[in-house]
Amino acid sequence: MSELLQLTGQHLLIVAIAVTIAIAAGVPLGTFAHRRRRLGGIALRITDVVQTIPSLAMFGFLIPLPLIGGIGARPAIVALVLYSLLPIVRSTLVGLDRVDANVREAATAMGMTDRQLLWGVELPLATPAIVAGIRIASVTAIGVATIAAAVGGGGLGTLIFRGVSMVDTRLILSGALPAALLAIAADLVLTQVERYFARRRGES
Amino acid sequence: MNRRTFCLLLSALCLLPSSCHREHRPITVGSKNFTESVILGELLAQKLEAAGCPVERRLNMGGTFVCDTAIRAGSIDAYVEYSGTALTAILKQPSTSDRARVDALVRDAYAKRGLVWSPPLGFNNTFAMIVRRADAQRHGMRTISDLAKVAATYRPGFGYEFTERPDGWPGLQRAYGLQFAHAPRTMDLGLTYKALAAGEVDLIAGNSTDGLIDSLGLIVLDDDKHFFPPYDAVVVQRTGLESRCSSALASLRNTIDDATMRRLNYEVDGKKRAVADVVRELKLR
Amino acid sequence: MIEYRDVSVLRGGTAILDRVTLRIGKGERVAYLGRSGAGKTTALKVINGLIAPSSGDVVVDGTSIAQHALPELRRRIGYVLQQPALFPHRNVLDNIATVPRLLQWPEERIRAESERLLEQLELPPATFGARFPRMLSGGQQQRVAIARALIAHPEIVLCDEPFSALDPLIRAELQTLFRNATRDRAATTLVFVTHDVREALRIAERVIVFDAGRVVADTPADAFMNHQHPLVRRFVEA
Repeated sequence: MSELLQLTGQHLLIVAIAVTIAIAAGVPLGTFAHRRRRLGGIALRITDVVQTIPSLAMFGFLIPLPLIGGIGARPAIVALVLYSLLPIVRSTLVGLDRVDANVREAATAMGMTDRQLLWGVELPLATPAIVAGIRIASVTAIGVATIAAAVGGGGLGTLIFRGVSMVDTRLILSGALPAALLAIAADLVLTQVERYFARRRGES
Repeated sequence: MNRRTFCLLLSALCLLPSSCHREHRPITVGSKNFTESVILGELLAQKLEAAGCPVERRLNMGGTFVCDTAIRAGSIDAYVEYSGTALTAILKQPSTSDRARVDALVRDAYAKRGLVWSPPLGFNNTFAMIVRRADAQRHGMRTISDLAKVAATYRPGFGYEFTERPDGWPGLQRAYGLQFAHAPRTMDLGLTYKALAAGEVDLIAGNSTDGLIDSLGLIVLDDDKHFFPPYDAVVVQRTGLESRCSSALASLRNTIDDATMRRLNYEVDGKKRAVADVVRELKLR
Repeated sequence: MIEYRDVSVLRGGTAILDRVTLRIGKGERVAYLGRSGAGKTTALKVINGLIAPSSGDVVVDGTSIAQHALPELRRRIGYVLQQPALFPHRNVLDNIATVPRLLQWPEERIRAESERLLEQLELPPATFGARFPRMLSGGQQQRVAIARALIAHPEIVLCDEPFSALDPLIRAELQTLFRNATRDRAATTLVFVTHDVREALRIAERVIVFDAGRVVADTPADAFMNHQHPLVRRFVEA
């Protein structure tokens, strides 16, 4: 039981770190994509391609790399960041796009600088969409993090892999069920957060 | 096509299985998912093909239990297993270091499961508890018992099987009275050597015939309490294989010794050569 | 105050504004009148730089638009569009406080002036101050938009058909409120775009008629009914 708790803690930790980094990188990237359409389009295309790489292959690519690779939690976190970027970048972009053009025009006409417009109007109004992207990224990350065990990253995947090697269904489930429950819980909690922000932004 | 032709075809199809001798049906060769097992699987496959038996390769399948389940279900027809593994992990019998007894026990038990436990290939691949040579010198470690000196600080790193098997970590700790402070990190078996060399872990459970031990500056600790049973490599095959093919496998008896296996492993793991090429070049005694 | 010097705006080969030359003095109340697509909205938007002229020059308060620091200039110009475009994530008082906060007014002054304006526009601040835009009707939202545009005592007020989305009864009511709210700011220059003649005559002292990007008539409001330009006659007869 204590091993399960420890592994669950490990699992949540690498997901939390990865998603936080993805938010810190993804929201600015999405904002940039919104402002500079062409360059932004390229950034979006790249994150799109990254997302299509199968997760085990991604972990495999990262192992031999010098700084970000190796074995353990580090390549796992790097891979998770890469997978979490696309939903967040995309949802930031869409959220900003959906801001009413009239509201944007009024804000500009009132004399807001581009930065004041972004921080005072656009980002607050885009927040529910951004949180939706964070929700998707988190739920995905919890699933992908099970592969981290293949490279020594720990987490609930450890139980799954051990179970597969022993063809021990009970052991497999002891890892798979908590992972699934974590994903569901994350989805529920973040949906509530999303709703809270939508209410505050006057959209309910 | 008219009704008569259709019926003829249908009945011909129905007759086909019974008239289809094993010689037309390819023999499926499996292997576990580490280098040595893949090499041995390829060896079986090439030997069969040389004797005119068509082969389907299912190498790199998974671990011990995946292979065992597969051969009992008939998804594969042959693979190489290790006597100690068969005894303790598959048959769940208590471990013993009496080689002859192990062999007899396993042969009988396998016969009851419809499997032939033969021929032995001629080498023993036991679990090797491996540490970095520099560390071994610093702490004066030569045997597994010496691990008691570092049990408080060392971080073990194992593949998935060793962590769970009764003849693995749990049994080893109990037999040697060791209590490691750190729980083992688990990862793909192949990565454990990398992890040890990189300093991410301090103790791994490799195989005594692994090719990379010397080249990475590692040493194997001696099993002074003889915890591990013998792990003689033996071909496991389903009964009823066509005699030509069965003979081809039988001709592999005692053709590979420890040194040869280690060399083959190094060719693939160290020199990064293709398994099929390495096996093809092999001249057996 | 506002001067158009041979201003043209081209979009995809068509001249939305075609060599417009105009002068609007300080404190004048002007209506831009015309059919849809005549260029009156574009003529409005070059004043606060929302649209840049393709050729010619727009001069506001002595300085060319091209030389103005636009955010600073815009804080001196009130702008009301057809849609209220209130910030949905801020309540009524916070919406109105937008430009004063950009100008860093003290909060007590902002509050006092907001409440006064809301009273004048018949939206009691005690009831409406804390409400969010989604809780207001279209007419109420537009009143808040007007308050938001007027609170910082802008030197110029630009309106782009602000009442055309509202029903006729509300429209008349708001025209009155708007006229009263802007009447006591004698030094404010007002440019009001509309396609409704009556509205133009109620609110403005001078009517400029646009057609196909050109100014075809420019007349004091009380002389409008007698103006002889064929387009003006059509407006009068409608």
